[in-house]
Amino acid sequence: MSQIFVGLSRTVILFIVSSGLSLILGVLRIPNVAHGSLYMIGAFMAFTISKVFGGGDLGFWLALIGAPLGVALVSLIAERGLFQYLYEREHLMLLLLTFAVSLVFGDLVKIVWGTEYKSVPVPHVFQGFVNLFGELPFPLYNLFLLFVGPIVAVGLWLIVNKTKIGKISRAAAVDREMVGAVGINVSWVFAIVFVIGCLLAGLGGVLVAPTVSVTLGMDHTLIIEAFLIVIIGGLGSIWGALLGALIFGLTQSLGILVWSQFGIVFPYAAVIVVLLFRPTGLLKSTW
Amino acid sequence: MKKSKWFSIFLVSLFGLFFMCPTSNAANTIKVGIVDTYTGPATTYTNDVLDGFKLAVGKINAKGGVLGKKIEFTTRDEKFKPDIGLAMAKELVLKEKVDILMGTINSATALAISDFVKKEKVPFLVTFSKSDKIVGEKGHRYVFGMNENALMAGRAAGIAIGKKPYMKYWIAGDDYEYGHSIANNVWENVQKVNPKSILIGQSWWKVGEADFTPYITQILAAKPDFVIVATGGSGMVNFQKAAQATGFNKKAPFFQHTAIEASTLVPQGQNAPEGVYGTANYLFYYPDTPANNAFVAEFKKAYNRFPKVGALYGYMAAQFIAEGFKKAGKVDKERFINALEGMALDSPVGKLEVRKCDHQLVLPMYYGVTKKNPKYDFLIAADIETIPGKDYMPTCDEMRKMRKYKQ
Repeated sequence: MSQIFVGLSRTVILFIVSSGLSLILGVLRIPNVAHGSLYMIGAFMAFTISKVFGGGDLGFWLALIGAPLGVALVSLIAERGLFQYLYEREHLMLLLLTFAVSLVFGDLVKIVWGTEYKSVPVPHVFQGFVNLFGELPFPLYNLFLLFVGPIVAVGLWLIVNKTKIGKISRAAAVDREMVGAVGINVSWVFAIVFVIGCLLAGLGGVLVAPTVSVTLGMDHTLIIEAFLIVIIGGLGSIWGALLGALIFGLTQSLGILVWSQFGIVFPYAAVIVVLLFRPTGLLKSTW
Repeated sequence: MKKSKWFSIFLVSLFGLFFMCPTSNAANTIKVGIVDTYTGPATTYTNDVLDGFKLAVGKINAKGGVLGKKIEFTTRDEKFKPDIGLAMAKELVLKEKVDILMGTINSATALAISDFVKKEKVPFLVTFSKSDKIVGEKGHRYVFGMNENALMAGRAAGIAIGKKPYMKYWIAGDDYEYGHSIANNVWENVQKVNPKSILIGQSWWKVGEADFTPYITQILAAKPDFVIVATGGSGMVNFQKAAQATGFNKKAPFFQHTAIEASTLVPQGQNAPEGVYGTANYLFYYPDTPANNAFVAEFKKAYNRFPKVGALYGYMAAQFIAEGFKKAGKVDKERFINALEGMALDSPVGKLEVRKCDHQLVLPMYYGVTKKNPKYDFLIAADIETIPGKDYMPTCDEMRKMRKYKQ
């Protein structure tokens, strides 16, 4: 039981990051490989903000707000400066471009933050653990993650389904010429969606920072998982991202319980099973 | 027409530059070529090797160098890729005509370069790769090990842990060569020292695993007495953070090679878990000897940080290069190797010898447990036990059996 909850808290981070990826994929049709880099930048920014404010609780809460906004700014520059010129190109071109951007981001992070490991302390409120089920410890911070996850999911659902920008972007995803024809500046709609997606990557980075060492290369591991999640969930579907993240996170933590020596195999096996039966992903994809 | 004119001017000036380039006069310098990873997370370790090396070389050159020659070095970034590393080693030997090669943190690169130097007959000092194949199975006349390897670290830790009254063990680690090698070596030696010990389970995760919490809850459920955790690089910090968050360190004592080393503890500040057992070749605060204190002061003055384990490897590599050529009497690769065999030099951690039989530097290993200390804003090791090299190193007979190349 405890293992399920541990798995769920991991799911939260995977969901937040991959929902951003899915949003960008669904509306803009960009397979954004640089998404992982933005997640890494978010974590590094969280480190800096937390450090500037003395590494305490205040630093963490400010980082939680500041770092995603910082990442949003970076992504806005990237979108206006680069991506907006390539929406009409083939996917392969976009893939190559985002890959190149991810390499550039990697080097930028190295120049700005250096190569040493960084560590963001867990805020005091969430230090320690509770014994949820029997004797097994459950870190308080993971409990906090379980709380954040649904908020982000519901918030995202509200934005996509209830706001004007959400409705426009959904329309733009289906038929961008038509949306442009009714007098909406599609270019800026895309920019906003891109920035929201990247903001989620940054948020994921901040949330993960207290539990891991902030280091170069953390983008690579994540981006592969995020893409797998988006693929099994259905390309471009937010709820698909949630479902995919759940499958990925839970099979991993339960897999460890069942067969600890080969725990890492389970999420990938799950991906294969899903794709065998539903090659287009579990939920309806917007592609 | 105009274009081709400019092009020929460009070509001519390029040739001019090529000939004007100051080709270093082989007679006046001893050239060391360093191939190592200078991009990516591994630089946490490799920058210290380079800085330690620079520090020593600066001192040697200030005193007039060796045999009246200055030591000169060039570095190449292998980007943690063996094919790039090998190409760079070739370039350094064939084009730059270096007298000695040094590096690298990547075991695969070190093994590839080792094969190459055997053919070219160039001495190669390995400064951070942990594969025990380098001086073991694949060892030969031209390769030297300047740092501990997985076999040595595993034995040292196994001996120290085996003495403790633990019975039920659990093994967990990175699912690749380094992880398995460390874990198996620790476990084998625990069993040797304490034959009653039993292994109740094991878990292996992918390299670069970020979230260890699910593994930790699973290990705790099995209630082992002691856990051997074989992870490296950024996994060290990740695992310790997860241990702190779950109180793992208080429930089940665990060991990580290099857990007590500054590379792991400094980034975590005061938030690192207490009570983690670890081993390391070098600690800047232990032993508290004039030689070590002088080295730390010197390093801190030059780079404004405490030296980590790599600094010792780099610093000593430079010393051995200088003393080796001094003893050889001239810049001759074969005589240099003969001179280095069995050579012992003073170091910050006492006298260190390069063994004749396997070209491995005999280093002390420190075993300790992480603890807060009011003197530093990060955790350091406490209850330190020194395990001298002779106690944990494989014997020369064992090495001879392991080696395919017979001397």
